[in-house]
Amino acid sequence: MASSYWDSTQRKFWTFTKQQLNLERKKLEESERNLVSMFPLPDRRLLSIYFYHQLSKMARPLGIRQQALATAQVYIRRFYTKVEIRRTNPALVLATALYLACKMEECPQHIRMILAEARHCWDVDTSFNDISKIGECEFTLISEMNSQLIVHHPYRSLAELQSQFQLIQEENALAWSIINDHYLTDLPLLHSPHQIAITAIVLAVVLKPTQGNLQPVQAAGVANALQTLGNARNGAAQGAQNRVQKLVDWLAESSVDMEAVVECTQELISLYEIWESYTDKTCKDQIAKFVKARGVDK
Amino acid sequence: MSLLCASPGQAPPSSRSIDKTAEPSPSPPSRAPTPPAAQLEIANKLTTASALLWDPKFTSRPPPGKLPPTHAGTLSVANRTDSSISVRNLGGGQTIPVMDNRRHPSSFQQLEKLGEGTYATVFKGRNRQTGELVALKEIHLDSEEGTPSTAIREISLMKELKHENIVLLHDVIHTENKLMLVFEFMDKDLKRYMDSRGDRGALDPPTIKSFMYQLLRGIAFCHDNRVLHRDLKPQNLLINNRGQLKLADFGLARAFGIPVNTFSNEVVTLWYRAPDVLLGSRTYNTSIDIWSAGCIMAEMYTGRPLFPGTTNEDQLQKIFRLMGTPSERSWPGISQLPEYKGNFPVYATQDLRLILPQVDQVGLNLLNSMLQLRPEMRVTAPQALNHPWFNDLPARQQHNAMAAAQAQPLPAQMGGYQVPQGAY
Repeated sequence: MASSYWDSTQRKFWTFTKQQLNLERKKLEESERNLVSMFPLPDRRLLSIYFYHQLSKMARPLGIRQQALATAQVYIRRFYTKVEIRRTNPALVLATALYLACKMEECPQHIRMILAEARHCWDVDTSFNDISKIGECEFTLISEMNSQLIVHHPYRSLAELQSQFQLIQEENALAWSIINDHYLTDLPLLHSPHQIAITAIVLAVVLKPTQGNLQPVQAAGVANALQTLGNARNGAAQGAQNRVQKLVDWLAESSVDMEAVVECTQELISLYEIWESYTDKTCKDQIAKFVKARGVDK
Repeated sequence: MSLLCASPGQAPPSSRSIDKTAEPSPSPPSRAPTPPAAQLEIANKLTTASALLWDPKFTSRPPPGKLPPTHAGTLSVANRTDSSISVRNLGGGQTIPVMDNRRHPSSFQQLEKLGEGTYATVFKGRNRQTGELVALKEIHLDSEEGTPSTAIREISLMKELKHENIVLLHDVIHTENKLMLVFEFMDKDLKRYMDSRGDRGALDPPTIKSFMYQLLRGIAFCHDNRVLHRDLKPQNLLINNRGQLKLADFGLARAFGIPVNTFSNEVVTLWYRAPDVLLGSRTYNTSIDIWSAGCIMAEMYTGRPLFPGTTNEDQLQKIFRLMGTPSERSWPGISQLPEYKGNFPVYATQDLRLILPQVDQVGLNLLNSMLQLRPEMRVTAPQALNHPWFNDLPARQQHNAMAAAQAQPLPAQMGGYQVPQGAY
């Protein structure tokens, strides 16, 4: 994380409109029409969940911090807007993205450690077994991303805004985990970090976390909560709604793009919806199919 | 290591390799014994740009004499190889995966080697299409660690930082097994500039003022973008023949975006290292770059490093001898720093005027504010830029018009203000 977001390569080159993003992906799929029809894949968000699980499995024993994990997820998403996933070995791409992200976030891991963890967590797939593969793949990643590797995350905005809204600890924790979740969607490619952070704060405040079970946030819960927010806006609620009111007032007066916040909210709600249909196995099997069939090692 | 012109013989080890045990830090480079003219021999012959420097149209300075064309003088004879002199094609005929908008290595003609750092070799190059000179930094890839972290950091930061006082990264070229960074070409680093242009290394006051202003602008821009350079030294400041100064070598630079207290304290070449870093502080911030800038300012006046320490301890002593030994009273909290020792020799603060009689009163005030032992007391880059010392600097009014001025090489920019402004 460095330099100002407004002049960043993230804003200039890696933030898209939905239409642009769709177009890019369509182009990619069309160039590989055969592969795409031969190997259907689950919804991108489900794949992202699977990837996240795999990344966490690798990261946990190495004590890699969340921000590096988040950076890795952004790298993977950027990479797969440029390279058709079926032409790659996701296991290798994931391990490499994590390796590179750790370098960038200044918590470098030894390449051999990453390789060991990768092999451990992709037990079925042993199609890469030496460090030079990661080195090569790292090179490809850097190249595909045009060496634009600095990622601005919403965590900073959250930290800055949390005192402004006097978030209680639970709300802060919930907002943090909502930010974690947004990496499972296309939001990092669509909106600025502060918009994401504000969305997370809004959701966290209206969801009123009280007990420990923060995750997964239920889609229905979010919808209900938003209803509450609407009520607050109408000035119906008093007292308990004070902070919500304050937040809503702040939003109304700020120059934050509310449409973007609404869009982010929608995106998150549908993520939580589809999350309910997630199974590890489907993703794993479908990826294994094309990896095996193509014998890709990159 | 410097991006350009780092002569391998004297390139100080990257500060990462400096630790308390292996300290024989950069031995005072062969500054005195190097006759300034020798370094410039070729420059006069080879590049039109440098040859311009001695064009009687622009300067009254006598040309360095009749010199046979030879290697650019950036390499010692021992390092000179035929291949580094000859012009060769980088592409070497091998097929290279060319990504859509990326340039092919062979679009650059590789000229002589300019220097070698820990993770890269720098060549002079020429864009085959435009004829433009560039610096090609070839990154060596390590099979054990992939692309070196320093390189990754440098590239990614340079992609974000675009400023006229920061060396411009034109392009990154990926080939099968190496990475090549294409930078704008700069003629010299500040150290070589001082060796060759200065009076026994010392520069004239107008040039110093111009350089300091540009240095501080570059630093201010970095800090504004939440980037610490962490390794400012004359070898990392590049000068072109228009008298522009640019920060280079961001291999150790670090984003200080997230509040972190685990910064490595093994940064910044010893001589320019701030006392708080030397005392083991890990929560340093932008003020460490300001300290380095102060050291560089003094060095430009004298031609010699201000604090040429040999070890961490010696470095601190040299600083204390001049700036006075700090105490808990003058620097609350100092005794908590890991390297603090109660038995530091106690020195009184010296009057900088006596040590640096060359510096004018206002300049001394600025210098003093940069060389504050306590990091919180050090002036910030934006404050320093507003210092009255710069009031009479044409660049201060000019810098907005700088872009326009680039088209017409003003003599004032050429010789670092050796020619009076009024002359034109």
